[in-house]
Amino acid sequence: MSQIITQFPIVFEALNVGFLQTLKLFIITLVGAIPLGLVICLGSMSKIKPLKAITKVFVWIIRGTPLMIQLLIVYYFPGLALNNPVWGGGEEGRFLAASVSFIINYACYFSEIYRGGIQSIPVGQDEAGMVLGMTKSQTFFKVKLLQMVKKIVPPMSNEVITLVKDTSLSRIIALQEIIWAGQAFLKGSQGISGAIWPLFFTGIYYLIFSGILTVLFAKLEKKLDFFR
Amino acid sequence: MKKLVSCALVAVMALSMVACGSSKNVASDSEYVKNNGKLVVGITDFAPMDYKDDAGNWIGFDADMAAAFADSLGVEVEFVEIDWDNKVLELDGKTIDCVWNGMTLTDEVKSAMDCSNAYCNNAQVVVVKSEVADQYQTVESVKDLTFAVEAGSAGEAEVTALGINCTPVKQQSDAVMEVAAGTSDAAAIDALMAAAMVGEGTGYADLTYTVSLNSEEYGVGFRKGSDLVSALNDFLKASYEDGTMMATAEKYGVQASIIEQ
Repeated sequence: MSQIITQFPIVFEALNVGFLQTLKLFIITLVGAIPLGLVICLGSMSKIKPLKAITKVFVWIIRGTPLMIQLLIVYYFPGLALNNPVWGGGEEGRFLAASVSFIINYACYFSEIYRGGIQSIPVGQDEAGMVLGMTKSQTFFKVKLLQMVKKIVPPMSNEVITLVKDTSLSRIIALQEIIWAGQAFLKGSQGISGAIWPLFFTGIYYLIFSGILTVLFAKLEKKLDFFR
Repeated sequence: MKKLVSCALVAVMALSMVACGSSKNVASDSEYVKNNGKLVVGITDFAPMDYKDDAGNWIGFDADMAAAFADSLGVEVEFVEIDWDNKVLELDGKTIDCVWNGMTLTDEVKSAMDCSNAYCNNAQVVVVKSEVADQYQTVESVKDLTFAVEAGSAGEAEVTALGINCTPVKQQSDAVMEVAAGTSDAAAIDALMAAAMVGEGTGYADLTYTVSLNSEEYGVGFRKGSDLVSALNDFLKASYEDGTMMATAEKYGVQASIIEQ
């Protein structure tokens, strides 16, 4: 126990550095995937047949393969097959490659949630919009979008909380997120070796973070409660 | 359906053409490194070979030697922490230029990369709980234990060669955790690492290590066909002869294990 107390300041600092990477990846993924998801969603509902088919196949590939494989492909494929390591070996390159993989992966999941949200809105509203002389995009943005947002909050919160934990997958391309930082003390780092507790302690970070998100999503749901 | 198949075929052909095009190397590996102006060294946090000092700089026997080698090439050195499982991917994907991290020269390693001459001795040792350590001082006595080993490690190769059943885990530290948790009886890991990880004053005070399963050697790995291998061998020889290698080794307490070049 006394050992943990003396180790705590060093471990805490290292875990914070790791968690910052986790947080950065989380935020960048959301910022990129939420709009990209809408683009993919519109593609998969498009009236242009080839565009629709390509989008559907793309979503199938991304949702049908493990994110871990996608990370490996995005990071290593340019150097292995194209002989051009575009990402470079440094920490920034790894972070960029991880961001790209996460944004694409989550955008595909988001697109399907959006599609569910849009299609759940009765056709009657489109017809009503047409009768009132609104254009299609006017009906979409002014009438349907907010209803869709309300409907997708619960499934989105599900995905977002999954994302918090999925960020740990990026350690496969040696991005030094919090699990990596915790595991380093098992093998030996900064004079501490064979310490098991930091790895398990990382769980507290995830718990607190997903707790905060749960509260925020509950608040958002309440805010949107003014209509049905 | 036919259209779909032909589309898929076209995609496969395009990919294989890309793959063929890449097999021709434009320049030699040393030219590639010199053009980049840096030697990217793939490492893990592994005292006393590669670890961080209080200021966050990479030090250690391997780190210091790698920095000196990069210096001799006239390029900067950059250390990158990698996932040990992916070292060959990292090398071939050119995200690193060499693996220099107390790497045991096994047949698998030698077939996947071009390696330098051995520069340091090591052994695989058996980690068990201290209270039963007395019973397991010989290779014969550990044969009935269940082992945890790092997948693809020298420890796994030794344990498998002895005909012992073992569970491969992700890394050496996980293997030790298996022993501590009682899910495996013993682990086979590097002697240098065992000395740092188990025993008094570590998180595994009730574990210890007993018998050595083999003796083995450390080397540096480069991409297949790299001309940096001979450059490094010359460098190791020169630094052994002028005493800088030994001086570095003494700094990190590994002088007893250094191999004459």
